Amino acid sequence: MGAYLQPDTLDEALGILAREPVTIAAGCTDLFAATESQSLNGTVLDVTRIEGLRRIAKDATGWRIGAASTWSDVIAADLPPAFDMLKQAAREVGSVQIQNAGTVAGNICNASPAADGVPPLLSLDAHVEIGAKGGPREVPLAEFLTAPRATVLMPGEMVTAIRIPDVSDKGESRFSKLGARKYLVISIVMVAARLHVQDGFVRDIALSVGACGPVATRLAALEEALRGTPLAGLPDRLQPDLIASALTPITDMRASDEYRREAAVHLLRRVLDDLTLMRSPV
Amino acid sequence: MPDTLQTPAGHVRLGSNSGQPMTRRDGIAKVTGTATYAADNRPDRLAHAVFASAGIARGRVVSLNVEAAKSHPEVIEVITPDNRPALHLDPDGKSHPFSWRIEALQDNTVRYAGQPIALVVAETLEAATEGARLLAPEYDTDPARIGFENGEAYDPPAVGIGGNPSFSKGDFDTGFSNSEHRIGASVDTPAQYHNAMEPHAIVAEWSGDHLTIDTPNQAIHLARGAFAGYFGIPPENVTLRSPFIGGGFGSKAILVGPQILAIMAARMVDRPVKLVLRRDQMFGPVQHRGATRQKLRIGTDGNGLIKALEHEATASTSSFDDFIEGAGNASLNMYASPAIVARHSAVRVDTGTPGPMRAPGEASGSAALEIAIDKAAEAVGMDPLEFRLRNYAETDPASGKPFSAKSLRECYELAAQKFGWSDRPLAPGQMRDENGMLVGWGMGSALFPAPMFAAQARATLRRDGTALVETSGADMGQGAWTALAQIAADGVGLPVDRIEFMSGTTDQPDAGVAGGSGHTASAGGALFEAGSNAVQKLADLATADPESPLFGAGNTGVEAREGRLFRADDESRSESYADILERAGLERIDAMGSGGRDPANTEARAMFSHGAVFAEVKIDPDLFQIRVSRLIGAFAAGRIINPHLAKSQLTGGMIWGIGFALHEEGIHDLRSGRPLNADLAGYHVPVNADAPHVEALLVDEDDPYVNALGIKGVGEIGITGSVGAIANAVWHATGKRISSYPIHIDALLS
Amino acid sequence: MTLSISLSVNGESLNVPLEDTRTTLLDLLREHIGLTGTKKGCDRGQCGACTVLLDGKRINACLTLAASVDGTDVTTIEGLAQGDTLHPVQAAFIEHDGFQCGYCTTGQIMSAVGLLSEGDAGADPERIREGMSGNICRCAAYPGITAAVLDAERRQSESEGTSV
Repeated sequence: MGAYLQPDTLDEALGILAREPVTIAAGCTDLFAATESQSLNGTVLDVTRIEGLRRIAKDATGWRIGAASTWSDVIAADLPPAFDMLKQAAREVGSVQIQNAGTVAGNICNASPAADGVPPLLSLDAHVEIGAKGGPREVPLAEFLTAPRATVLMPGEMVTAIRIPDVSDKGESRFSKLGARKYLVISIVMVAARLHVQDGFVRDIALSVGACGPVATRLAALEEALRGTPLAGLPDRLQPDLIASALTPITDMRASDEYRREAAVHLLRRVLDDLTLMRSPV
Repeated sequence: MPDTLQTPAGHVRLGSNSGQPMTRRDGIAKVTGTATYAADNRPDRLAHAVFASAGIARGRVVSLNVEAAKSHPEVIEVITPDNRPALHLDPDGKSHPFSWRIEALQDNTVRYAGQPIALVVAETLEAATEGARLLAPEYDTDPARIGFENGEAYDPPAVGIGGNPSFSKGDFDTGFSNSEHRIGASVDTPAQYHNAMEPHAIVAEWSGDHLTIDTPNQAIHLARGAFAGYFGIPPENVTLRSPFIGGGFGSKAILVGPQILAIMAARMVDRPVKLVLRRDQMFGPVQHRGATRQKLRIGTDGNGLIKALEHEATASTSSFDDFIEGAGNASLNMYASPAIVARHSAVRVDTGTPGPMRAPGEASGSAALEIAIDKAAEAVGMDPLEFRLRNYAETDPASGKPFSAKSLRECYELAAQKFGWSDRPLAPGQMRDENGMLVGWGMGSALFPAPMFAAQARATLRRDGTALVETSGADMGQGAWTALAQIAADGVGLPVDRIEFMSGTTDQPDAGVAGGSGHTASAGGALFEAGSNAVQKLADLATADPESPLFGAGNTGVEAREGRLFRADDESRSESYADILERAGLERIDAMGSGGRDPANTEARAMFSHGAVFAEVKIDPDLFQIRVSRLIGAFAAGRIINPHLAKSQLTGGMIWGIGFALHEEGIHDLRSGRPLNADLAGYHVPVNADAPHVEALLVDEDDPYVNALGIKGVGEIGITGSVGAIANAVWHATGKRISSYPIHIDALLS
Repeated sequence: MTLSISLSVNGESLNVPLEDTRTTLLDLLREHIGLTGTKKGCDRGQCGACTVLLDGKRINACLTLAASVDGTDVTTIEGLAQGDTLHPVQAAFIEHDGFQCGYCTTGQIMSAVGLLSEGDAGADPERIREGMSGNICRCAAYPGITAAVLDAERRQSESEGTSV
């Protein structure tokens, strides 16, 4: 059993990180805080009391979600409609009890293929702000996640925030998640779509699919094909082959790969239906 | 329904307390957190135990790093097969029909993943957990045998507990081949785990050769004898307390290995020891519902009359013990047929031994039977309800005996009307809701036997006008403490608020088993008889006393109510219990009673509760997500003691039906034999949002034969009928017949 | 090393020595402080039986490290009733038979109290069912639980209405 450290400042935390191996704890919802967890035998670094780390705010370059912000903080935050998908995902991250403790940053660091937060953040072009004693660095979320349960985070580093660039907070968004039970489920498939419409045309579109491969993925080819096209009839122009080629789902006890592939197409069509409908003149 | 019973005693009326929708007597304790469950006990000098679980499904433990565990400063003792003290009974023996072969570290063999392979006792839970981790076991691994294809098949000598593995009546082959319509149905059901919210727990403490244990138990006196047997002490040296059980569903009726380990540890370290299973440890040594593979064939004539019915079931059990889910027997008592065959076979796999789980046999069997019946109705082109009515069994199909009472027709009628069944289109795929969801309606018939167990109780009338009633009944949520107190109050002729009800420990007379839906009837019968016997003693005193207004009423009889005895022929002549006791110079008067059934009735009649369940499902037409939007059942189960609580039991069972149909499935890795979903995130049970509209209706039923009080049970019947109703509703929505449970969303894709 | 934390439990200030950083808030409450009304169902945040309010918000005590709650305000089931007067949610659970075995009940009730103070679900039964879905009840007393929460919500909004 080791020490429990609860620094007030980021500098202090980064100093500890540089000094010794620690387990970083925030909401602990994925840490299996229960006593049999081996990872808690060493020093625990509790980052929830660090000044400013639980702030969600906008600055000159975009939005910054502090690493200790909980899912409930995201739900309560005053954010533009482009973030609706993130809020919708937040409402389905486990129970409200989990949402009150679990953090967005923890969700991405845990790097589960079924992490609910990842598809909406990908569709927001999120970057991960990483702190270390030697200075910070920033990595696009798509590069931050390398494989199931694996990230580019190095020893001595911690995630300090998630950043959403200015240009990506435009448009409306939707998240949709499929599970075997009505609530409290591990995703079988989930999609997050952001649609920015200008003068009846797709100015920008961001589509992400989760739980259909080792890490959640953006559908870049499909997005490219849809950009600049008219809003009218957009859902009908979803090309299933461009979706299928981007996904590598597996068959597990929750669903077959075939089901996942088909479900991803249906879910995308639905969220786009919804977004299109919302933008159409009544 | 006559409200003065002829037996056991005509002077006591049933009904002033029984039948009332009282709220739970243990309600305040449960909503304030003061109800104590086993793991809530914290005696002085308490030590904590954690067992290490086998990480393989078959083989041997070849090494355990006991030294590492013992070097942890707070670890007190490590128990392995090498240092485990001898038990008085062989854990691999079976001393009575309710005993299972258990794992008590008898050797280094591993028979299933999750089996206890060592026990660590420490000052704290954290240290015991760490100690168990430090053991770092190494194994000699044999290939695991998981699944029907890989296990060893055999013909079981019995199904369930002592049930008949095969049954045949009439000539099935001829009946089937001569039938105008013939259908077959194959239905698989998976292993299911009880997963009571309270994990199995025990706090054990020795004082000399006297043992005190706090552990949830559904059969307190039976367990006392079994615990005493393992440790070679007389049963009266065991005090077992089980005042609150955090859900049992069958898994806490039978003694399990970890309990023995904790008691053993308490003796070794000479301190009280607490052992609480982790949730993942609930997927091994504490039983489950075995998987089944069922095949049915039904032949009908042109009018839709069943001519032949066959139900074959293969069930999985462990490699070392036998509990066979008697699924095929679900076809013996429901639908009329001149030819009926039921047959069972079994397959041994490397899992823990199954055990009774809420409606053992009936739940899985009914889940398949009701699909087959629906297919038969479809083949005839008949409405499923009309088909079931056409084949209504007026006498028990298996034995030919008359039913003690059967009100299934009334159940069909009431539930169908409430549901709106008459608007149902015959063909599938016809209905959509306002959101474009596919809508389907299906139904199933529900049935459960009405067993009784030997039970005793004591009633004591006290001079202050109250009564103490005692029986070792177990309340695991079914409301025993409330319903039994209501019956007891009627037995002693007092309002229920003047009853002190003591239950839940070995200090009270044996209340038998809280299981098989027979507890209220058995323990209730004992309480009622004890009460009426005590009242009879009081009446004997009064009617023989010249100073009593009841003097000489011995022949005309007296009636007891509200704490007074009245002359049966003259209401104006009465006397209070208190006055009778006072004049006799007695502080109290007591009597024993026992529950039971007239053996002549048992011989002559078939005894079952019945019900009908109607389900509406809504299914996403593209993604096939299924939601049970309505589930409405009507049930007839003899006299209902507390309609408020009986409805909760029934809706609880029906929601288990939702879990069975759509969610629950214990999955083992075929290669390693390890459970893949041994937690509540992976093993899905229904959550609140899965059960938006579940309703149970009660049908009055007067059963003069089932027992003196006319009580059947409601604990298990709710799950039967419901599962098939949901599967049939899925067919009605999609046109797709289900061949395995739970119904996977991607199974509807093809 | 021994750590010491200060927290308020049901309005009472406590100073608790902590010998192990791995101790969860749930085990702290049950084994160290002796408040056993909060139950352990899964120890993984998957069942909600251990729900308590941390600074007014519902959380799973089994996922919360005791060391992290230094300086916070914890409310457990033992702190809900005022003497012999039950909290309206407790009373509604009895009246609507929102439990059977009672093991998950304290967590259900704390979760319901949290839900009502969040104010998101209103009197919409579907929102209440979803908001209560983090609390598994194996007895499946869900119809009674939903009815109890709806009733408590109605009583709460009525009393708020009259006090204005």
